[in-house]
Amino acid sequence: MSRPMPNPPSGVIHDIGYRKYDGPRLGRRQVTRALFAQSLRGAYGLGRSARAKVLPMLLLGVMCLPAFIITVIANVTSSITGELPLAYSRYAVVTQGILTIFVAAQAPASLSRDLRFKTVPLYFSRPLERSDYVLAKFAGLATALFLLLTAPLLIMYVGALLAEFPVGRETGDVLLALVGAAVFAVVFAGVGLVIASLTPRRGLGVAAIITVFALSFAAVSALQGIIRYEVGNADLAGWLGLLSPITLVDGFQSWVLDASSSAVAPPPGDAGGVVYVLVTFAVIGACWALLNLRYRKVSVS
Amino acid sequence: MPVIQTEDLTKRFPATTALDRLTIDVEPGVVGLVGANGAGKSTLIKVLLGLSPATSGTARVFGLDVTKDGPAIRERVGYMPEHDCLPGDVSATEFVVHMARMSGLPADAARERTADTLRHVGLYEERYRPIGGYSTGMKQRVKLAQALVHDPEIVMLDEPTNGLDPVGRDEMLLLIRRIWAEFGITVLVTSHLLGELERISDHVVVVDGGQLLRSSSTSEFTRTSQFLAIEVSAETDAVADALTAAGLTVKRDGHLLELSLDDDETYDVVRDTVAAQGVGLIRLEQRRHHISEVFGEDQE
Amino acid sequence: MNGTVVRLTYRALLGGRRAWLLLAMSVLLLAMAVLLRLTVGVDHQVTADFLGAVAVAALVPLFGLIVGTGVIGPEIDDGSVVYLLSKPISRPRIILSKFAVAATGTVLFAAVPTFVAGLVMSGTAGRIALGFGVAALVASIAYSAIFLLLAVVTRHAVVYGLAYALIWEGLLGSFVPGARTLSVQQWSLSLTEAIATRDLVSSDVRLAVAGVLLAVVIVGATWYAGQRLRVLSLAGEE
Repeated sequence: MSRPMPNPPSGVIHDIGYRKYDGPRLGRRQVTRALFAQSLRGAYGLGRSARAKVLPMLLLGVMCLPAFIITVIANVTSSITGELPLAYSRYAVVTQGILTIFVAAQAPASLSRDLRFKTVPLYFSRPLERSDYVLAKFAGLATALFLLLTAPLLIMYVGALLAEFPVGRETGDVLLALVGAAVFAVVFAGVGLVIASLTPRRGLGVAAIITVFALSFAAVSALQGIIRYEVGNADLAGWLGLLSPITLVDGFQSWVLDASSSAVAPPPGDAGGVVYVLVTFAVIGACWALLNLRYRKVSVS
Repeated sequence: MPVIQTEDLTKRFPATTALDRLTIDVEPGVVGLVGANGAGKSTLIKVLLGLSPATSGTARVFGLDVTKDGPAIRERVGYMPEHDCLPGDVSATEFVVHMARMSGLPADAARERTADTLRHVGLYEERYRPIGGYSTGMKQRVKLAQALVHDPEIVMLDEPTNGLDPVGRDEMLLLIRRIWAEFGITVLVTSHLLGELERISDHVVVVDGGQLLRSSSTSEFTRTSQFLAIEVSAETDAVADALTAAGLTVKRDGHLLELSLDDDETYDVVRDTVAAQGVGLIRLEQRRHHISEVFGEDQE
Repeated sequence: MNGTVVRLTYRALLGGRRAWLLLAMSVLLLAMAVLLRLTVGVDHQVTADFLGAVAVAALVPLFGLIVGTGVIGPEIDDGSVVYLLSKPISRPRIILSKFAVAATGTVLFAAVPTFVAGLVMSGTAGRIALGFGVAALVASIAYSAIFLLLAVVTRHAVVYGLAYALIWEGLLGSFVPGARTLSVQQWSLSLTEAIATRDLVSSDVRLAVAGVLLAVVIVGATWYAGQRLRVLSLAGEE
């Protein structure tokens, strides 16, 4: 509805008449769902400027590229090998760099914007509760990550079917990998959002998230390698895996889902496995609690 | 039925007391909340919205308790904060549609009402550009639009004319008056500029240091006072002395002289005295009260 | 170089959450070094592997990223760089001052702890600590220059910087041999190779080549950043 005047008088208030709104007013749950949808779309740059789409779409492409290559290789060598060159459940760990960049870029994009521009009071002056806001943001980013992980897995699955590998086996494997992907998504989203919520500065949020994920992984796997191979203590090396999000979830899925592990050292025995599971859930719970705490304290200028 | 009611409302911070046993009643209409910066105006709004819990006392909006029925109140309230709160990289339309949906409007209704509301506040082609490039006046209109889009029963505007030039200020004040007069939405406006609230409010609440100084209708405040103001072309002092000698109480106010208006005879005395002095009488008017006097009064 | 700019940048860099992150990283490195010394004892191969994988490959680049972008990024982001640009200080001078802060910061908080970690783990034997310390020193300076340039060129310096560090130096480096010739890590490791007496570290790049490339990158990036600051535009978002 644009007015055709070349210089619309900015001060004129048009007497079109005000209409009252008598329509439905949706409750908290639907509002939360709307915010969730917006966060999910925002994680891929949809509903934002064109430049915001570049990075997530690029990452999605790079994420799927190895899957395509694996599919092609599998189809070409199917008669010889009879299975995919890379197991489904190892894909997340192998491509963790891309996952990390995605979380590091999009977690601050989701939260820092509202904090930096101080839009948060506008949300909380509406019927939305603080925990609804947190839930919507958390679920949005986690779902975005899950989709990022699922796309290449589906590509590989289709490739495996085309190569005529045993359907039952492939379906079972991919389903297990999807469960693992869900856990990866939730843990990464949680840790990323907690860090992002600590600062309204987007650049610092990105750097901090990368640092925590990449440094912890580098440190933990280096230590694990040294302690397992040069000291010979595989169990201690296994325990160290709890200290980085990537190795934590990898350990979780290798023990719970019997998935092939990419880590240097697996969880030590059944006791270790149980601890891995408990710590994984504890991390998720802690992230949820910390985010809620953070938004309870949001100072409304 | 009062739209807003507080009783002994107190909000204490570690360093200061923002609200101090505030008890007010607000009827439907335009209510001006006046006070110096830091007097507690923004804090009151935040307490009413449930964004900040009160230390003690009660507050009710639409008869609902702010601590227990927060969500129900917030469904029917619009808020325009004082500070900058708009993201720079989305357009006004996108932003207001999103806020409308956050208020519970379904997607289609949100889009429709956003288009209407943006037109009502005076944003036309600009609404498709990113907010980052807007002038202050346009940004204030967007803030107002997101407060109105869900058809609330009351809007709370915190310093809506901040940062606007005189023309923008007038437009905003007119718009605020229209919100009540034509849209039928009660408005709670805060300002530290007393003069502008006089023009548009039905009722004025004056606070200072968190305490209520005065709460009454605007007409009461600005009733004509029993004072006369005159301006003469020259020799103001001589005129002042002559009028005092004639039995009137005279106060000098810059180049004006203020006299108490005792009865109709005063006009004659003034005319005669000024003529006797041989100077011209430029202005002769009855003085009205201003809200600022409230602050003066209570400091004695 | 301008003393005031240096002072203000230091204060901005070290006063706030960023400083805590940096400190935590240094402490973490030293803690791991101590842990390894206690569990593994003195094993020079372990020292070399650890310092190579964690300090030079991860800590130093991340530090360079956080500090290099942190000395000018936030200012450009919130527009307060305008105050600096409107002063009668030449743009290259501003860049040089900020580079000085970034380089010293990274050296102090990343290179020195690397050296100390090496001492903790292997003592002075075989000049391993020295070798890695020098590598970290040179890499710190190089990364600071690169990421400072990136911060001037783009608002998303951090993300692109990460992409460089992770994808170029990490992923591609392992698969594409040619890429290793253009990796800051490899250049600094060639210095370690030259300094350390034992055969614990090998680099794919010859010392002379590495030295030249490092110098070119450091000088070139700083100079180009100065030129880009001249034409900096503060328009809009994203």
